[in-house]
Amino acid sequence: MTDQATAERDYFSDPSVLKDPYDYFEEMFSKGPVHQLQSRDIVMVTGYDEALEVLRNTQDFSSAICVVGAAYPLPFEPRGDDVSEQIKAHRHEIPGSDLLVTYDQPQHPASRSLLNRLFAPSRLKAMEGYMSGLADKLLQDAVARGGCELVKEIAVPYVTYVVADLLGVPAADRDLFRAALDQSAPPGNMNDSEKPTEFSALEYMAGFFVRYVHERRAAPGNDVLSEFATAKYPDGSTPDAMELVRLSTFLFGAGQDTTAKLLGNSMRYIIDTPGLQQQLRTNRALIPAFIEEVLRLEGSSKVTFRVARKKTRVLDTEIPAGKRVVVALAAANRDPRRWEEPKAFKLDRPKIREHLAFGRGAHTCIGAPLARAEVRIMLDRLLEHTSDIGFSEAYHGKPGNRRLDYEPSFIIRGLAQLHLELKAA
Amino acid sequence: MPQLFVTTRKGEERSVEFEPGSTAMQAIYDANFADILALCGGVCSCATCHIYVDPRFVEALPKMSADENDLLEGSSHRNERSRLSCQFRLSPELDGLRVTIAPED
Repeated sequence: MTDQATAERDYFSDPSVLKDPYDYFEEMFSKGPVHQLQSRDIVMVTGYDEALEVLRNTQDFSSAICVVGAAYPLPFEPRGDDVSEQIKAHRHEIPGSDLLVTYDQPQHPASRSLLNRLFAPSRLKAMEGYMSGLADKLLQDAVARGGCELVKEIAVPYVTYVVADLLGVPAADRDLFRAALDQSAPPGNMNDSEKPTEFSALEYMAGFFVRYVHERRAAPGNDVLSEFATAKYPDGSTPDAMELVRLSTFLFGAGQDTTAKLLGNSMRYIIDTPGLQQQLRTNRALIPAFIEEVLRLEGSSKVTFRVARKKTRVLDTEIPAGKRVVVALAAANRDPRRWEEPKAFKLDRPKIREHLAFGRGAHTCIGAPLARAEVRIMLDRLLEHTSDIGFSEAYHGKPGNRRLDYEPSFIIRGLAQLHLELKAA
Repeated sequence: MPQLFVTTRKGEERSVEFEPGSTAMQAIYDANFADILALCGGVCSCATCHIYVDPRFVEALPKMSADENDLLEGSSHRNERSRLSCQFRLSPELDGLRVTIAPED
């Protein structure tokens, strides 16, 4: 076969894959929905049913390598058909092992339960006024100037302040958090193979949460932080204070890049899909359906990672214990067996919410309802304050010949910068 | 281990052993019932883990929150036995609980 004669592009370092991962995923899918990559000791899952199966199967797949993927070798040599004990023994040596996404049972459901209440619909509803006011404040200034760089000037501060509000962080500290996050690179950095995922901003913020948790535990009040600080595990036991610190800082890291990039990706569709901007302006009730289709076509997490705990199968393919698996969420969301005309943008797809942009199963993005609300409100306010939104052609060129720079990450899909021209309403 | 009995949308019943402390949704989901989508992962925001609880157990379950009630309001298949399975945890006292997965909305 000619396919085998051509060397496969490397998912983790090839710039052409960064620019258009969908073309690459299509190529991999054509080799099979579960495919052993040529260049790395890793299996890529690009099929919808297959991805769902891996995500659902927490018995056979561990999330321990979720944030570093193939960028780091496993800290052990897999032995035999069950490496559960090896993963357990070496888990702490894998970068990101203190982040909720990398936890496995039984700690994972226990820790996750401490966060559930934060995302209750009534709570998110109560935050909408804050989100809307914050969006107005950020946008009024940008509209007055006639434009902005959406990602850093609007999206990043917006999502950082919203998570701070979610957790009840005192107003005076919120600016400090933003400054710390502004300076850090997103996870899965392709430009720094020594340090593909950097955690220093989160460490800085952890210092604040150590204080919050201890203060609130000593003298609980009625605020969100007090409720969080005194939350108990489902079995009634009290979590270690440091576990709460890890969980709260994790929310900032997890919610920031992903939501900010989703906003950027949404804007690109609004501007470059003919007629769409006007359609949404005429009927803003379409915004939620629009967001779902953007999540499917260009969600902000391209992939997530698992490692096989035991010798297992993904539908027809055998997976040995210790094998690393890249679950290509973005590919599953374009699987032609699941989605009719998968590359087409459509606002009325049946069962659209079954896309895998937020994952599925035990590790489904806990912040998905918040992300949806944040993006919906920001888009609504953007349309409210403007009569037209366009790309700044000085930065991004003309339609059909756009110059767009994507964040150099093998996990995150999103524009590094998005310069907009905003015409006041 | 205690168990619950789950009836699928096709009317087939299967028993599932559960770990006390897990939510009913987790127990059902982990036992691979494809009817339970649980799209939101258990944060009470999607209503795709809607079940009917055996009337004998309705009173034994923890009370419904306003959020759960509101979400169920949005389902055209709600009845007096409706619960979101992600919103209550299984205790040993619930051994033998019978539930039916509600039709898809």
